[in-house]
Amino acid sequence: MRSIIHIAAFVSLGLLTFSGLCNGQSVPGNDENIPYLMTFGKDGHETSWGDDDFSETFFFTIPKEYKEPFYIRVYDPEVGGNTDELNGYWDTKMQYTILGGKGCYTNPDAKGTDPIGNYKSGTVLASRIFAVDARYDEKWFTFGPFNPADGEYYQKWSCYIFKIVCDGLTGNDGNLYRYFLSKKADDNVPIQGANAFTHEYTFRMWNNNDTSYVSHIYPYIDSGCIYVKQKNFDWDNDGNFIVVSVVRKGQSQPISGENVWEEGRIQVLPDEIGKSLDFRFYKRKDALVKNNNVVVSVQNQYGENLPFFTVPIGGVPVYKPRIKVTKK
Amino acid sequence: MKPGLRYSFLVLLMIETLTVSLFGQSSYEVKQLTTVSGSSNDIVAAVAKNGIVFCSNRKTSPLVTRKNLQDQRLYDFYFAPFNSKKEVGNPEMYANELKGKFNLGPGCFSPDGKEFYFTRNYNSGRSRKVKGETDKYGIFIAKKSGADWVNVTPFEYNDLRYRLAYPYISGDGKYLFFSSDMDGTLGKSDIFMCENIGGKWSTPVNLGPVVNSTSSEVYPFFSSSGRLYFSSDRKGGKGGLDIYYSIKQPDGWSAPILMDEPINSKADDFAFYTLSSDQSGYFSSDRSRKGDDDIYSFKHTIVRWTACDTLKKDSFCYEFVEETALLSDSLAMEYKWQWDFGDSTRTDGITATHCFAEPGSYYIQLNFVNLITGKVELNQASYLLDVERVVQPYITAPDVAIIGEDIKMDASLTNLPGWDIDTYYWNFDDDTYLTGAAVSKKFKRAGKYNVQLIISSIPDDKGNVRDACVCKDIIIKERKK
Repeated sequence: MRSIIHIAAFVSLGLLTFSGLCNGQSVPGNDENIPYLMTFGKDGHETSWGDDDFSETFFFTIPKEYKEPFYIRVYDPEVGGNTDELNGYWDTKMQYTILGGKGCYTNPDAKGTDPIGNYKSGTVLASRIFAVDARYDEKWFTFGPFNPADGEYYQKWSCYIFKIVCDGLTGNDGNLYRYFLSKKADDNVPIQGANAFTHEYTFRMWNNNDTSYVSHIYPYIDSGCIYVKQKNFDWDNDGNFIVVSVVRKGQSQPISGENVWEEGRIQVLPDEIGKSLDFRFYKRKDALVKNNNVVVSVQNQYGENLPFFTVPIGGVPVYKPRIKVTKK
Repeated sequence: MKPGLRYSFLVLLMIETLTVSLFGQSSYEVKQLTTVSGSSNDIVAAVAKNGIVFCSNRKTSPLVTRKNLQDQRLYDFYFAPFNSKKEVGNPEMYANELKGKFNLGPGCFSPDGKEFYFTRNYNSGRSRKVKGETDKYGIFIAKKSGADWVNVTPFEYNDLRYRLAYPYISGDGKYLFFSSDMDGTLGKSDIFMCENIGGKWSTPVNLGPVVNSTSSEVYPFFSSSGRLYFSSDRKGGKGGLDIYYSIKQPDGWSAPILMDEPINSKADDFAFYTLSSDQSGYFSSDRSRKGDDDIYSFKHTIVRWTACDTLKKDSFCYEFVEETALLSDSLAMEYKWQWDFGDSTRTDGITATHCFAEPGSYYIQLNFVNLITGKVELNQASYLLDVERVVQPYITAPDVAIIGEDIKMDASLTNLPGWDIDTYYWNFDDDTYLTGAAVSKKFKRAGKYNVQLIISSIPDDKGNVRDACVCKDIIIKERKK
């Protein structure tokens, strides 16, 4: 009996740590300070604009206790108007596919960083294609309602997982957009304990050269991590990339140039296990790099992609200095 | 000396206790040990835990008188136990097994108590004179076996041509001192020293002209304080044999210092043996009216602590370490660690050392400077540091001074929280003292002096008095000509 109580306590603590305190499913997340997600149309296969694969996959986690219908809302889903990136003329079509059911997350292809194989694994729950469409310019479009039980139940995190894939079907314009996991169809009302994550983050940097605009993404460091390798693409040498954790104040990482990949190895410190790292991106201040779109992923020593949670697991890591004073 | 004064002096001796206090500065209390001093010659030899061992030529039998070639009564060892008040009681024969037709003279125990080094004639003593026979002596060593001393062997440097006597082994067992007229002697007899090297005594070395003179130096005793006491009849003394001490220094021995009265007198004063870091002990003297050698105890009435803390220099310097940063300090960081010490000074670095100008309460703040943005993240960690003086009596005095120079010493920086101080007592390590929070002192001789400051509190409600002691070395130098 005693051991059962112990186990129960452990499980509930795990839930609290992982999802219980998360509140907000804005993608990008509030703490991330990222203006928009970015997906380009794949025509011409032009990656130099800052999208290596013309596809972006995000997962939503719904705590198993949540039984009500929910919605996935997309801000500015079409490609045109004020918020997107024009290349020539607006000719891009963007497809959003929402998936649930078995294999939605656990299929190995779903955990990759590239839209290859069965990356759209699971059961299609909804799908829609957007082209230039003034009705949705800078407006929210709502998918759903969805039943939480239609997601793939993932025992380790005690939650249901849904997947949304944004594919740039045609054209070569850039789609800037955001998501929100909501309780309501016509408003952004977060589900307590829900979260969102991706294995490859493609996003827009701030359009300024002000270093006070710092963007963050938060890879989760699971047990067993010895080191991780971050990969970034098409950074255009736009500023600085540093890593912060509870025990790492700001380790510098290499950033890529125009249309190339760069990578850096990060030795994981024991106090960082089970917590999130803070990847911080500072804009270059001596020159303005406009409309800079970048791609970031991170892998552990086994080559497994680690998730970036929009609400960082364990909270936003804050460096904890400890002063020791010794009399000389 | 005028007869009247001489008489007065003797009257003082008759009351057995004599205290000399010159302007309240020098003070020994001397007391004759009446229980062991009789009509014979009695000379202290060694002190054991439970009593003293001394040599005496006292007559033990009305029928038999043991004499040497010079028709003098032979000396034997006696033991006088301490009573419950630590006073010396009535003597009894000691080491009877060593007794023979010899003079058994001064000796000492090895530090482990397993050996007894003593002086003895080389030749067996005779009860009758034999013309032409010499009366030389050497050092012999007996080993402890139960309650007896057995297996007597001669000291390896004994030589029938010379006299070796008055052995004394230092408390740490490193040195053996003795007196001899062996080769190299400057006067009639000099102090020699052997060093214990791997359990064997090295070849004796004459302590040289700083210690020895063209007269006689006898009865060496090396105190745990580093003083070598001995007796000499050299010129400049108070008369006959006088007691001197010389201090062992890294580069040799200091010039001998003649001890004041009442340790020394116009008579022979010798065989000085100290306890408790020279605060008490015994010596022999023939100062009494009877003219034979008697044993005296002495007590230094100047307070001197045997366990006095060395003055700790007040340090207001600290090392500050941001420990979390050490976990990743091999990594290139885009931050600078900036310490604000709360005294208008700042230093950069994960570790920093800072010395505060004075005691006080300082609010230490750790800032981070973002090297990318230049923004300072203020007070990311803090530490309230109370910088205090060391809790101790404090001696403010120069490290080095000149003979005769007026040296100001004060205790104003003493930090003894909660103490109501009653007395500041200064022991200058030259058998003088003064009291007061600030004193002025002149040293008469060059050398190193271990000055002690002893502070006592006024009694608390229960009558308890607290006291504390610190010491500081002061070097006194000759004035440059």
